[in-house]
Amino acid sequence: MIKIYDYILSVNCYKQRLMMSILDVPFESIPIDFYPGWEHKSEEFKKINPLGHIPVIDDDGFMLRDAHAILIYLASKYDPTGLWYPTNNPELIGETAQWMLFAEGTTNTASAARLHVNLGYEFDIEACRAGAHRLFRVLEEHLWFREQENLGWVCSGEQPTIADIAIFPDVILSEEGGVARIDYPALRRWTDRVKRIPGFVPMPGIFPVGDARPISHEGEANA
Amino acid sequence: MGVVRELSLLGQAVSYLSTSPDIYRAWRTDPATPVGTASEPSSVTEGLPILDRYGYLWTSLGVPNGDLFDIPEYDEPDRRNIHAATIGVHCSAPRAIENFLDMGHFPYVHTGVLGIEPHTEVVDYDVQIDADSNELWATQCLFFQPMAAATSTAGEMVGYTYRVPHPYCSLLYKTSPLDESRMDVIGLFVRSVGPDRIEAHMILSLIDDSNTDSFIRRFQQSIFAQDKPILENQNPKLLPLDPRAETPIRSDRSAIAYRRWLSDLGVTYGVIPED
Amino acid sequence: MTESLMNLWHPIASAEDLPYRHIFQGQLLGRELAVWRADDDFVNVWENRCLHRGTRLSIGRSDGLELRCQYHGWRYANRSAGCTYIPAHPADAPARTICNRTFPSVERYGLIWSGEEPTGEPPEIAALENAETLLLRNIAVNAPLNLVLGHLANYRFSITGDPDNLATTSMDYQDGCSLSLTATCDGKKSTVVFFVQPVDSNRSVIRGVLSNSPEGAERLLTLRHHSAELSRLRDIVELEALDGPSLEPMVATIEQVPIALPEITTPSGRKAALRVQVLRKWATAEGVVGLELESIGEPLPTHQPGAHIDVHLPNGLVRQYSLTNAPGEGSLYRLGVKLEADSRGGSACLHETVKEGDVLAISEPRNNFPLRRDAVKTILIAGGIGVTPLLSMAQTLRNNKLDYELHYFAQTDGHLAFPEVLHELGEAVVLHLGLSPDETSQALTALLAGPQPAMHIYVCGPGPMLEATRRIASEADWPDEAIHFEYFKNTIEVDSSSSFEVSLARSALTLEVPSGKTILEVLRDNGIALMSSCEQGACGTCEVTVIEGEPEHQDVYLNDSEKLAGQRIMTCVSRAKSPRLVLDI
Repeated sequence: MIKIYDYILSVNCYKQRLMMSILDVPFESIPIDFYPGWEHKSEEFKKINPLGHIPVIDDDGFMLRDAHAILIYLASKYDPTGLWYPTNNPELIGETAQWMLFAEGTTNTASAARLHVNLGYEFDIEACRAGAHRLFRVLEEHLWFREQENLGWVCSGEQPTIADIAIFPDVILSEEGGVARIDYPALRRWTDRVKRIPGFVPMPGIFPVGDARPISHEGEANA
Repeated sequence: MGVVRELSLLGQAVSYLSTSPDIYRAWRTDPATPVGTASEPSSVTEGLPILDRYGYLWTSLGVPNGDLFDIPEYDEPDRRNIHAATIGVHCSAPRAIENFLDMGHFPYVHTGVLGIEPHTEVVDYDVQIDADSNELWATQCLFFQPMAAATSTAGEMVGYTYRVPHPYCSLLYKTSPLDESRMDVIGLFVRSVGPDRIEAHMILSLIDDSNTDSFIRRFQQSIFAQDKPILENQNPKLLPLDPRAETPIRSDRSAIAYRRWLSDLGVTYGVIPED
Repeated sequence: MTESLMNLWHPIASAEDLPYRHIFQGQLLGRELAVWRADDDFVNVWENRCLHRGTRLSIGRSDGLELRCQYHGWRYANRSAGCTYIPAHPADAPARTICNRTFPSVERYGLIWSGEEPTGEPPEIAALENAETLLLRNIAVNAPLNLVLGHLANYRFSITGDPDNLATTSMDYQDGCSLSLTATCDGKKSTVVFFVQPVDSNRSVIRGVLSNSPEGAERLLTLRHHSAELSRLRDIVELEALDGPSLEPMVATIEQVPIALPEITTPSGRKAALRVQVLRKWATAEGVVGLELESIGEPLPTHQPGAHIDVHLPNGLVRQYSLTNAPGEGSLYRLGVKLEADSRGGSACLHETVKEGDVLAISEPRNNFPLRRDAVKTILIAGGIGVTPLLSMAQTLRNNKLDYELHYFAQTDGHLAFPEVLHELGEAVVLHLGLSPDETSQALTALLAGPQPAMHIYVCGPGPMLEATRRIASEADWPDEAIHFEYFKNTIEVDSSSSFEVSLARSALTLEVPSGKTILEVLRDNGIALMSSCEQGACGTCEVTVIEGEPEHQDVYLNDSEKLAGQRIMTCVSRAKSPRLVLDI
C-alpha cells in the first residue's frame, strides 16, 4: 500500500489524498508532526526527504517527493482511463503542465498567506495576497470562458485533470489567508464542480457541497 | 541574554524575552529595548506581570485580580499535557469561545467525528455561574458522537462539562475513553491580537499512554481547522451582547449565559456591548 | 449619494452566475448577499447571514427548495426565507418570526436586479428591449462607482471583436450608475450598455450588455475582446483609485431580530391575517377537491411540513386544513378538502360555493404536527384525506434525501388524492386499498411490528384508525414520543358536567368553572384572551401550563405520557379531577 508522509492541514498533502481518493487507491497516512513539532525538519525525516518537505510517498519502496510530481506519478500509474494525466494528447498534456506551474504560483501566494495567518510563517503577507489576487483574476477569466464553451475544467478537455487537483486546495482555502473569493464567481462555481467529482474528500476547513440538481429536473425546467 | 520579541495583546504592542532557565520578562514595547535585539532580563524595570503556567506565558496590561484560574488535573503525575497548536484566526475572541461551548454544530462542522446526522438533537443541560469563583459552568451536556476522541472506535453518547473561568479561556471535560472514572481536559486559551483577530492556543491534559503526540495533535488540529472557516464567516465579527441581535434557541443556553456573563463583567473588547 | 443609490435597482449578479444548487456570494452598497436560484427558478436574494449566529449563508448549501446553513443546519425556505427546521430541536416547529432578511429580485437583460429599498421597476433600456442581447463578462474593480463610470464614458471597442479595428463611439446616455455607447464602423452599429454595481465605497462591478449577439466564432471573439478591453480599463482605473482619497468601507445595518409577540386574537380566538385568492380548484379524487391559494399582496409566510391553516369561509365558518405542499415549493398553499357526508357547511361550502378567483381570509400557518428530520427512518401512515399533511412531509423527506415510506390507506385508487404527487414520490408510496377495518388493523400491526431506535411514525386519518394505531403501537411497545398523531377531530365524547376552580398564578385571579362551560370560555368571559383554534381538543393551540392540581384530560392532542405528567392542559375541552387547578396564566 502507498504510504504518505502526511500533515492533515497541509494543502500539498491534501492534493495527494484527494487524488488517491478519487482514483480509489488505498493508502496509509503517516502523520508528521509538522506543527508545532517541525518533525519534517528533523534529522530523521531528512533521511526521507533531504529538502525537509512533505508530502513524500513511498509506493512499495519507490519514494517520491514534491506535490505536483506525485500527482503526475499517481495519475500515470493508477488512472486506467488516462484522463487525469492525458499523455496521449499533446495539447492537453501541455496545458496540464502549464496549469501545474500556475499551481506553484497559487501555492506560493494564496497558500503562503494561509501559512502566515494560521501558523505565523514570516512572509510578506500583503505581497502574498496581492499575488494571489493577480492569479485569481487570470483563473477567473479563464474559467468564465471555459463555461462559455460549455466546458468546466482548467484544461480544455471535457474531464478534469491533475491541474484541477493541484490548484483547487490553494483556491478553496484562500480565505484562511485573507484572500476573499467574492470577486471570483466563476472560480466559486468551479470549486462546486470539483467538490462533486466522484470520490471527492474534503480536508478540515473545506465543506462538502450538496448534490447537483438531478438531470431529469433540468430537462423539465428547460422544456 | 535573550532576544526581544513582540506581539500584540488587546491591540497593544507587548515585548517579551525569555532566558533559560525559566526567566521571563514582558513589558509594553519601548524604543529603548528594540525588538530583535539581545537584552538582559535585569534591564527590564517597568515590567508587566508574568506567569509561566500550563505551558504558556501569561501577562496582563493592568493589575490582575487574584491568581490565574486553577486546572488541578494539569498537575496529576500520570497525565499527558500536550500543547496541540497555536493557530491564528480572523475572528473575535468571544466568538471563538462561544463556538467552543457549542454542541449543536457538531454534526455539520465536525461531520463524522464529533457528530453525525441524523443525531442532531441537543438535549437540555444545566448552566450556572459558580457563586464563589464567578466561573461559568455548563454541566450534564450530552451529545451523540461517532468518534469523540483520537482513541474512539465507535459512536456513543458522550458527556461533557464546559467551564469558562476567563472571558477568553475555556476548558472542556469529557470522560476519558481509556479510564471511565477520569476526565480528559481540553483547553482553549485565546489571545486577542486585535478586536477581531486572535491566536488560539489549544492544550490537552489526557489519560493516554498509547498514542503519539503527533496522532493526538492531528486529531485536535483537525477539529479546530473545521471550526476556523465558520469563525471567519461570522458577521459581525464582534460578539453582540444584545440578546435581540441574533436568534438564540434553547440549546444555546451556554451561549446566552456567556453573553450575559461578559456583559456583567463589563467586557468591551471583542464584543458589541448592549446599548 | 449613497441614500439615492439605496432607492435604485442595481444588477447584483448575472443570470448565468446562478446554476441550480449554487449559492452566489454578492455585495451591494456594503451589504453582503447570498443569491440562489431555487428549483422552481425563483431567484432568492437574502442577506448573507444566518439569523442564528450570523454565519454567511453563501458557505451553506441548497437542496433546491431549502437553503441549509453550514453552522447548525438550520433550514430556510425558498421565496419566504422563513426557517423551516432547527436540527438541535427536531421535535419543535421553529417560531414563525425566524425569517432571513430578503431583498427583491427581478431578472432583466440576463442580469439579476435587486436593491436595498428600490422604488419602481428596474430600468428599461430601449436599446436592449426586444434585442438579442449578449452579456459581457463582469469585471470587478477596486475603485468607486464614479471613477469607473468616468472611464467607461471613454470606452472604445470593435464591433467585430478585432482589437485592431476600434470603432468611433458616441454616448447615448449616462446616469448615476449606467451609460450607453454606440459604435459605428463600416456602416455597422453596435450598442453596449454598462451598468456599474456599487459593491462598496471603493469596489464596483462593471456589467456590460451588448444590444446584438454575434453568431458562431464571432460571439466568443467579441466576448474576449470586451473582456480584454475592460480588464485594461480596470487596471487604469485601479491605479487612479490608489491615488484617490482612501474611503471607509460602507457599513450595512443589521436589523434586530423581531420579538415574538403573542398573537392578538379576535373574541372568537381566531385570527385571519392573510388574504388569498383561489388560483386553481380541481377534483383531485372521488369527493376531494384540490385548492391552490395564492397571496394577494405580500408573499405567503413560510410553512413547515405538517402545518395547517384556518380557512374563514364565506358562510362564516372557520375550518382547519393541512397544507399538502412542501416548504419552499412555490408561493402558494395547496389544500385537499374532502366533502364530508355530515358536513356542517365547511367542506360543502368549499366544494360547492368557492370557485377559482374567489378571495378567502386565512390564518398564518400553524404547526401542531412538526416533522422531525433526525429519524433513521420515517413511516407516514395516511387514512383517506388524512394524507394531506403527510404529503407535505413526504416531499420534504424526499427533498432532504431522508429514508421514509408513505402508507396510504384508501377505499379505491379513485379515492387517492393528488395522484400526480404520489407518482412523483414513486416507490416510497405503499398503497393499501379497499381494506376492511380488520384488514386495516392487520396491516397496521405488520407495519408496527417492532419498535426500532430512531424511527418515527406519523399518522393522520379518521378517528377509529388513529385509535387502532395508538393501541397497536402501544401493544408493540413503541414509545409515545416516536408516534405522532394529527387529529382533526376529537372523537372522545367530552364530559363537561364537573365544576371546579381555576387559579391564575400570574394574574392572581381565581375563577369558578361551572358545569357546561369550558375553562377557555370562563377565561374569555373574564377578559383573558387565550389563543385557540379547533376548540375540540385536537390542535393544541389553547394549551396552558398546569402548576398545581390534577387535570382531567379530554383532548387527543397530548400523548399518554404527557397526559400522565399532568403539566399541560387543553383549556377548550379538558377539566379538573381535583377541586382546583393552578394555571400559569
